[in-house]
Amino acid sequence: MKHSKMRLSTETMNLGFVRKVEALSGSSVRRCFQCGKCSAGCPMRSFMEHPPNRIVRFLQLGQYERVLAGRSIWYCASCETCTTRCPNKVDLAAIMDALRKCSWDAKGPSKESLVQLANRLFIENIRTYGRQYEMRLAAVFNVKSGQFLKDLMLGPKLITKGKLRMFHQKNRNIAEIENIFARIEALRKKGEAP
Amino acid sequence: MTPAKNLLNYSYYPGCSLHASAKEYDESTRGLFRALKIGLHEVPDWLCCGATPAHNVDELLSLSLCAKNLSLAEEVGGDLAVACAACFSRLKVTQHRLADNEEKRRQVEYAIDGKVSFDNKVKHLLEILAKDFGLDRLTAAVRKPLEGLKVACYYGCLLTRPPEVPELDDCEAPTIMERVIGAAGAETVTWSHRMECCGANFTLSRPGVVLKLSGDILASAKAAGANCILVACPLCHGNLDIRQKEIEEASGQWFGMPVFYMTQLLALAVGVAPAKLGFDSMIVNPLPLLKEKGLV
Ligand code: SF4
Ligand code: SF4
Repeated sequence: MKHSKMRLSTETMNLGFVRKVEALSGSSVRRCFQCGKCSAGCPMRSFMEHPPNRIVRFLQLGQYERVLAGRSIWYCASCETCTTRCPNKVDLAAIMDALRKCSWDAKGPSKESLVQLANRLFIENIRTYGRQYEMRLAAVFNVKSGQFLKDLMLGPKLITKGKLRMFHQKNRNIAEIENIFARIEALRKKGEAP
Repeated sequence: MTPAKNLLNYSYYPGCSLHASAKEYDESTRGLFRALKIGLHEVPDWLCCGATPAHNVDELLSLSLCAKNLSLAEEVGGDLAVACAACFSRLKVTQHRLADNEEKRRQVEYAIDGKVSFDNKVKHLLEILAKDFGLDRLTAAVRKPLEGLKVACYYGCLLTRPPEVPELDDCEAPTIMERVIGAAGAETVTWSHRMECCGANFTLSRPGVVLKLSGDILASAKAAGANCILVACPLCHGNLDIRQKEIEEASGQWFGMPVFYMTQLLALAVGVAPAKLGFDSMIVNPLPLLKEKGLV
């Protein structure tokens, strides 16, 4: 790796983006001193191209586009290990949420489409049915992701074990649930919620 | 159900999985609590808490879904008993975050068109058993001690994290599961992976992640001499039980490790009929082990 002198200034930092992430997450990005403890305990680090401590460093250096375009934020399992162990009380799990929201709102510049697809279907299920129906979630995911054969062997077994419901009903309060989604959208339109 | 006869009463939030892939967790929870005379009254029309996908991309939605459930729970009254570790974490985080963030609370109250409820505590089943009901009473209720079982208690991520929120037990070295199952006469093992992530909901989008992480957990439990694993979360169960065969094929190791919900074994110990505990819906058949130890 080429070593070059690092320049840290308010110009290279892009304080605007750092402040946005700090406001969304309620956690400091700047307090991190790169001890690496978060990454040492992160179960997902081997699946990420950049481990959690490096994500924070990128943010400090103003390289947020790299973070949003990468896959790492979508490979975070929200296990909260990093947040639990950080000596500086950097709430990295909340920062990951904030970064995913930034990427999501920008219609996902990241290449990691499968995790985003699963998230989207999960949330749509809540809006339409009120509850999660695993069978429907898995079936629609397999069709939309083009992985028709995935888990083919698992399905029938789970049905005979009574673990997947073929038929299900909507919640009775589905109109109220729709209202929650609609009111959140209205708040955002008025600029009164992030 | 007549609440007056019960020693304790709670509103009950089963969560989505308990109505489908984790129905044995629901059945055994109801059976156990009935046997212990702890009342569980299901929250009417509860909805999905949003789990990980909602908070991952939309905190306000996640907080609002949970706040709506908390207000539905008020219609029943009593503290809220939660079975799933992920639902427990989300509901509890919601109360915690909204208690000290007025701006977020106002947004959520607008979204759900109602007040956020802080009066009733969110409690995981383990907490109810260990603290409210008490281990002494639990031991006294045991008819069939779980002798011969060597249990690896698996906490996973969310029962004790984030540290300032669940208040269930120590966030790095919890013992509540060991104490609860120990009170029913089981032996517990000391092992390395009891708080490592199982791969959680990557089971849908990136199952390769689950094969690796859950494989490590199974291997660790086996190495510690456990003959079964105990869980308190339907997602952990799905990954360790339903995908165990696949994990064995991918890793070339054989585990044959039954994965129980803690309520299944506790209910068995206090004398609930095995036929009511959903052992037949587990993918790794636990009956050979339970028969060998004379428990069924
Ligand atoms: S543990 Fe905290 S201080 Fe250490 S590298 Fe991670 S975020 Fe930074
Ligand atoms: S919350 Fe995400 S980044 Fe933090 S340790 Fe868990 S998987 Fe890694």
